[in-house]
Amino acid sequence: MRALGGAVRRAVRTAAGQEFLQWFGLLGAPLAWTVQLVLGFGVTEARCDAGSAQWGIGLDTWEISLMAAAGTIVLLAEASAVGLYLLTRDVDYEGPPPLGRRRFFVTASSLGNVLFLAAILLSGLAAVHHTPCQQS
Amino acid sequence: MTTVTAPADERVGRLELIWEERPGVLGWLTTVDHKRIGLLYLFATLAFFLAGGVEALLIRTQLAQPDSHVVSPGTFNELFTTHGVTMIFLAVIPMQIGAFGNYLVPLMIGARDMAFPRLNALSFWLFLASGCFIYAGVFMGLAPNAGWFDYVPLALREYSPGLNVDFYALGLIFNGVSSIAAAINLVVTIFKNRAPGMSLNRMPLFCFAILATSFSLLFALPPLTIDLVFLELQRLAGFHFFDVAHGGDPLLWQHLFWLFGHPEVYIIILPAFGIATSIIPTFARRKMIAFPLVALAELLVAFIGFGVWAHHMFAVGLPTIAVVFFAAASMMVVVPSTIQVFAWTLTVTMGRPQFKAPLLFIGGFIVFFVLGGLSGITFAAIPIDQATTDTYYVVAHFHFIIFGAAVFPLLGGMFYWFPKVTGRLYHEGLAQAGFWLTFVGTAATFFPMHVVGLLGMTRRIYTYSDDDGWSAYNLVETIGGYVLAAGLVLIALNLVWSRLRGAPSGRDPFSGGTLEWVTPSPPPHYNFAVIPRVSSPYPNWDAEDRAQDVRNLDRGARVFDDGHEAVASTVKDGYLDDVLEMPSESPWPIVVAACVTVLFVLVLTSHFLAATAFAGLAALALAAWHWQEPE
Amino acid sequence: MSDIVVPARPRSASPSGWWGMAAFVATEATLFAVLVGTYAYLRFQTVQWPPDGIAAPKVTLPIVLALVLAATSVPMALASAAARRGLARRASALAFAALVVQSVYFGIAVHQFASDLDRFTPQQDAYASIYYTLLGADHAHVAVGLLLNAWLLLRLATGLTRYRVVAVQAIAFYWHAVNVLTLLVTACVLSAAL
Repeated sequence: MRALGGAVRRAVRTAAGQEFLQWFGLLGAPLAWTVQLVLGFGVTEARCDAGSAQWGIGLDTWEISLMAAAGTIVLLAEASAVGLYLLTRDVDYEGPPPLGRRRFFVTASSLGNVLFLAAILLSGLAAVHHTPCQQS
Repeated sequence: MTTVTAPADERVGRLELIWEERPGVLGWLTTVDHKRIGLLYLFATLAFFLAGGVEALLIRTQLAQPDSHVVSPGTFNELFTTHGVTMIFLAVIPMQIGAFGNYLVPLMIGARDMAFPRLNALSFWLFLASGCFIYAGVFMGLAPNAGWFDYVPLALREYSPGLNVDFYALGLIFNGVSSIAAAINLVVTIFKNRAPGMSLNRMPLFCFAILATSFSLLFALPPLTIDLVFLELQRLAGFHFFDVAHGGDPLLWQHLFWLFGHPEVYIIILPAFGIATSIIPTFARRKMIAFPLVALAELLVAFIGFGVWAHHMFAVGLPTIAVVFFAAASMMVVVPSTIQVFAWTLTVTMGRPQFKAPLLFIGGFIVFFVLGGLSGITFAAIPIDQATTDTYYVVAHFHFIIFGAAVFPLLGGMFYWFPKVTGRLYHEGLAQAGFWLTFVGTAATFFPMHVVGLLGMTRRIYTYSDDDGWSAYNLVETIGGYVLAAGLVLIALNLVWSRLRGAPSGRDPFSGGTLEWVTPSPPPHYNFAVIPRVSSPYPNWDAEDRAQDVRNLDRGARVFDDGHEAVASTVKDGYLDDVLEMPSESPWPIVVAACVTVLFVLVLTSHFLAATAFAGLAALALAAWHWQEPE
Repeated sequence: MSDIVVPARPRSASPSGWWGMAAFVATEATLFAVLVGTYAYLRFQTVQWPPDGIAAPKVTLPIVLALVLAATSVPMALASAAARRGLARRASALAFAALVVQSVYFGIAVHQFASDLDRFTPQQDAYASIYYTLLGADHAHVAVGLLLNAWLLLRLATGLTRYRVVAVQAIAFYWHAVNVLTLLVTACVLSAAL
């Protein structure tokens, strides 16, 4: 465990490590939300449409799994963004690249990721809560 | 750029010679200069804006009083449909990306032109032709008439047998090709042609807005294109996508349309955000507060906007478990816009604001955007949406946003960049009068619509009875519409008069922060004699870098005058990567556009074999175009 | 004609032409995603898929064809690498080999399309409509690719320039995209056999 922690600490001090933290921190949450929305909505269509209703789709299982998986990725992305934000404490976001550019993106994505987590949780919980196929 | 020494003068002279274009009409028809193309877009979109405005006034005149028969019901359907199509596809969006985006992006990033100058010309000629295609239908009495979102089954052959819907569908596919071309060009230009030193964190906020808009276009237009192709295949060739009897579904049209349609409304508003974030720092005389948050907010609005589409379908009977995804996303999409509103207002209040006309228009923009945004949030709540769908409450919301929040920055932007484009100052007093007239007119036209919508007045109705209790509101709205029109006329007169008689403006009358203020007014064909040094998002405020530019011109560094040269950088960090030889004027873009126009006319008239022949001709013209290599 | 072109100004990152093709591929891929999404949407709505009167698609030949087409990504990638090293003749030969295989694929695919039309028409029902539209879109993109490769061979015949090197890179990218999309479209269409 300690060895792993040490390896991670070394990795995030390399350029490649920091690039990964920045891009995963920026793109991980939007992509997780996109997949959760497309598949989550798709599953409700499959559950409720005339042709596919008899396929025996476990709606709740799908929605909870999607919410958990997407939520986990968002949390990891947020950890990446916040982590790099803390590592670049002394860097100005207008400063020269690559450090300035990394600081710029994680400053913003640290806040942005919260939105995606909210959307994932709200939609997943609501999809499980409501009676399947009742029209709104 | 003051050229003080003989070597500097010589270099500038050489650049002028290399970059000059043919004079006269032929020069305009074959131009590949992004500034000329931007102006072509501006004049074309202003003409369509006028047409859309006339349609709007006719609608308002018909609705001014109860039991009115100013126009026939059939004409009324054509009016509101064509008004929507014109304003969205032919006026506002092309003005933002084709006029403002085209003209300003290369200047703001320190580039000599767009990444693909000939493709730029092609996107303009295709745009112009698509607008003329749709208006040919209008002038032939076959204007689109099934609403700007053209729902099936109304739009199917059984209920719309005439060519009206075909003009709509083919015209928008045609228009879409132009927009895709423009979007590709803007993305690649912003990625690759930034001045070395301009890493992504130093890119102006206007460019972030245009980047977000362009990405949105790339991903939003395919659903529309497919939807329209399905519609035409069903109308012209008897395919089955939308009829239940043969396994189709009318909701398929709606899903695909709104998959495009919602990102489309963010495409409408994002460039306006970009213009606002350009004007505010200049007139507040300080940098934008929370710059990284504002930049990402622009990208987030575009991205999240792809996940909200079914909020336009809350009232069609979808299962609740399906719509909750869109309700959740619709609530979240508000947050980035709110962050921007706070950033804008804080920047003004914490700066030293000068309330000149451009900033007034942005003030009007913020007022209408907040009000329109508040009515917008209410639609995220499914029960409220179901009560207000298809009422004038919706019409009020989107006009506050499209007119109040998208057009006001365009008007402010026209004043702000007028000196740069023309080299003259506009008349400040007249501009402020124009602002107030337009502001009052907008409020008077669209605010009562909230009330009359909640009182039950439905959209798209031809007339109403006095017993409904809506008469007074409609009359006020119509008067407001004419006041609004008067404001716009005053603005137009100001711009024309100032173009002819305005005082010389010089390079930088407002002390703007971005690179377009570095060039002379108007900028020369090559934009920058020296590719500028960049070390912040407000390069024109970095005196050291600008002084270095003057020294570079004298020494011949970063001048790139060996040929028709421009510079490419790396995408993330803006390191110098390559020196490019750029193409000169070419007749092929307009030729390709002509072939494509004939192709669409032939499809409209069901001459499919001949249409294929013209597709072949277009391909040959493309081959001729690429035969002539820039180096 | 010297085969090697030493670039006067070496470049490290992907050129503008490549990025332009990437943006174009993004939009075309979205087009296909929408078509596949429509296929799924219509399938969910229909109890019997394919509907009565239309046989389920045969599986073997389409899979083999799609894999053969996908394999042409190899010569196209090699052509792109050869062009970047200034080897015009090698790039030409590789592009020609790819074109031959792609043309054979196209010929067989169009033949299959035509014989399908003899068995059922798109005007029959929604299944047929989306089937032919999806396949038609894919074949149209392959056809455009054939024209692009033919153009490439024409230009490479007179040697390499920096402009043509970018062309090879961009067109190779186009083919990688079309090949992946063809695999996806084939999987989608054959899902009716499940």
